[in-house]
Amino acid sequence: MAIQTIEVRERVMARNDEFAAQVRARLAAKGIVAINLVSSPGAGKTMLLERTLASVGEELGISVITGDVQTQNDAERLAAYTSRIVSAVITGGACHLDALQVLTALDAIDLDSTRLLFIENVGNLVCPAHWDLGEREKIVLFSVTEGEDKPLKYPAMFKRADHVIMTKTDLLAHVPFDLHHAIANARRVNPQLSFLEVSALRAWGLREWFDFLRYAVAQEPAGT
Amino acid sequence: MHEMSIALEIARIAEDRLGAAASQLVTVSVEVGDESGIEPANLEFCLEAVLATPPFRGAEAEVVPVRGDVLQLAYLEVDDGNPDD
Repeated sequence: MAIQTIEVRERVMARNDEFAAQVRARLAAKGIVAINLVSSPGAGKTMLLERTLASVGEELGISVITGDVQTQNDAERLAAYTSRIVSAVITGGACHLDALQVLTALDAIDLDSTRLLFIENVGNLVCPAHWDLGEREKIVLFSVTEGEDKPLKYPAMFKRADHVIMTKTDLLAHVPFDLHHAIANARRVNPQLSFLEVSALRAWGLREWFDFLRYAVAQEPAGT
Repeated sequence: MHEMSIALEIARIAEDRLGAAASQLVTVSVEVGDESGIEPANLEFCLEAVLATPPFRGAEAEVVPVRGDVLQLAYLEVDDGNPDD
């Protein structure tokens, strides 16, 4: 038999990265900041977004894309707090959002009135780390009911993140969670990380979070 | 955890490169970095399952471990069925 070898040397993620570049270009043209929110399931992404939409949703022109394996429950919860369309992506089993899904979901969003776009990723600390969605910032939510060693167990996610939000801080009084140890673990993996501490339930730390978002929006160059 | 997504994308690239010759594919070689988030044995399993379906006719997946977050399709081998010279 005659075996022929064909050199390919193509990055497997190349196509996803092309779609991510298209997402970035569409958002940049409108002067929109995109934040990719990632965490393990149940860390409080949706609740933080509910509080955020209720308080600064109009001021900051916030739109949301939600990703879930099944159901539109998160999108329905968030729709109660905003007049804008919450674009729901059901991945149908996939453990992460990809850039093509985000690019498609953008079609449902009124980009002209949007200044800040949240992409609420599928709850999963493994896979979403490897898919660029065209966001400007990746933020990991890390709740105090998890183990302090989460950053060491899931280093890829913390390495690729820009910021960490410690959530459910109202429970610190009830759980044996060492906040400083957890933050030190995250810094070991990624010394560039910045941290916020919030309890969306008790509205603790939300003012700092809203200021962070205002600053992020103000930093974004105006669209063309 | 997302090895099947990766396997499908590798198959798409292979089909893109090979066109009608996809049915002659016998080996796919993929470089997988230790920080790529991909489990080599799992990827091999997924890839061989995908390569058993049309337009492919079954091919061997060769996973080459490398350092870093590399994840790339290195080369393809096709067998045109002709005898060797």
